[in-house]
Amino acid sequence: MDDLQFRRAIYSDPKSQDEELLAAMDKAPNRQKIAHDMSLLDEKIKQALQVPVPDDLCNKLILRQTLATHQQHKRKKRLHLAMAASVAILGALFINYLQFNSAYNNLGDYSLAHVYHEAEHFADNGANANSRLISLASLNSKMATFNGNFTDVLGKLIFADYCRFGGMKSLHLVYQGKTSPVNVFIVPKDDQMTFIDKFSDQHLFGESAAFNQANVIVVGDKSESLNQWQDKLSKNINWTI
Amino acid sequence: MMTKQVRYEALVKALHGDLYRYAYWLCHEKQVAEDLVQETFLRAWRALDSLKDEKAAKSWLITILRRENARRFERKRFDMSEYEESTITDTQSASHEQTMESHWLRDKIAQLPNEYSEPLVLQVLGGFSGEEIAVMLDLNKNTVMTRLFRARNQLKDILESEPAKRGLYNG
Repeated sequence: MDDLQFRRAIYSDPKSQDEELLAAMDKAPNRQKIAHDMSLLDEKIKQALQVPVPDDLCNKLILRQTLATHQQHKRKKRLHLAMAASVAILGALFINYLQFNSAYNNLGDYSLAHVYHEAEHFADNGANANSRLISLASLNSKMATFNGNFTDVLGKLIFADYCRFGGMKSLHLVYQGKTSPVNVFIVPKDDQMTFIDKFSDQHLFGESAAFNQANVIVVGDKSESLNQWQDKLSKNINWTI
Repeated sequence: MMTKQVRYEALVKALHGDLYRYAYWLCHEKQVAEDLVQETFLRAWRALDSLKDEKAAKSWLITILRRENARRFERKRFDMSEYEESTITDTQSASHEQTMESHWLRDKIAQLPNEYSEPLVLQVLGGFSGEEIAVMLDLNKNTVMTRLFRARNQLKDILESEPAKRGLYNG
């Protein structure tokens, strides 16, 4: 290591513990002096570089971080609240959907399901209902809701009351049939369910007729002549508007 | 959560001084240096999980600080004018010979080009090796060593050429 190399090395790193450098230093006393001067200079440089640090900087840094974290927490809390609210709204919408959206999309399917659902109440085909037959007056008072009235009761009417038909208020009539009850539904017109004029399954079949105000659906078993029922109904109901 | 907070506070306590001094020597202004350190630690807090090796914390923070400093120049182009001697405010009353000398030397270091003073600060204050400085400044090691040599050489020349001018003068 020549003098120039030595100077370069010691100037660029006075604290170097490089063996070659240390060995080179041992060889010549003037190099030791250079090294000593350099480390003195370095000490002065170090003193000079030690600019005073503001006393409160440390606390400021911690405070600022704490505040920032707090803000973040608040933002997160708000986010969580918003998320909870969204879930609640979705839940409400879903329940609404379940309640008001029927599983059946045409009148026939719904009528059949409705009849089966209430079949047990009328299983005796009105055999014991003689004393409780519905009068024309009470039938018409209910029919008034649908802007219609019957001129005649049309046979033995076992049951007449409002019921929900796919979320709509409708009138459910049950007549005594030949072997099993005949169900008549008076349903306001609605877009949700497609109109279907004839429908059936293994046991029951039905017919629908569309009037200006409402659909009239008749459901009975295979022994009934639904044509006649529809015919009688259409002749007997007077729509007021 | 708590452990992150504890880690952060430990980091602040251990390194804010070094980082502030480094920032000061980068920008030569106390207020700007303080802002830089604040920004740096705030970023460090957000990325604290990515700091796996606590030993590397210092160089990690310095890297963040350098990036922040570069961003400062992107934001305010008018700040890019060369730093002028007159803007160094001498706030410390130099009552002692040694502090006066330090002060005088401090001015001289401030007048060094940044490319010389930066590795010098990293070496003397930060205690980093030539290799580490090379990585941090994205230079090769020989360049770093040359700059260190030149920095010390210039300071030595200045010290030797002006010894009579400093010191106490009474009138």
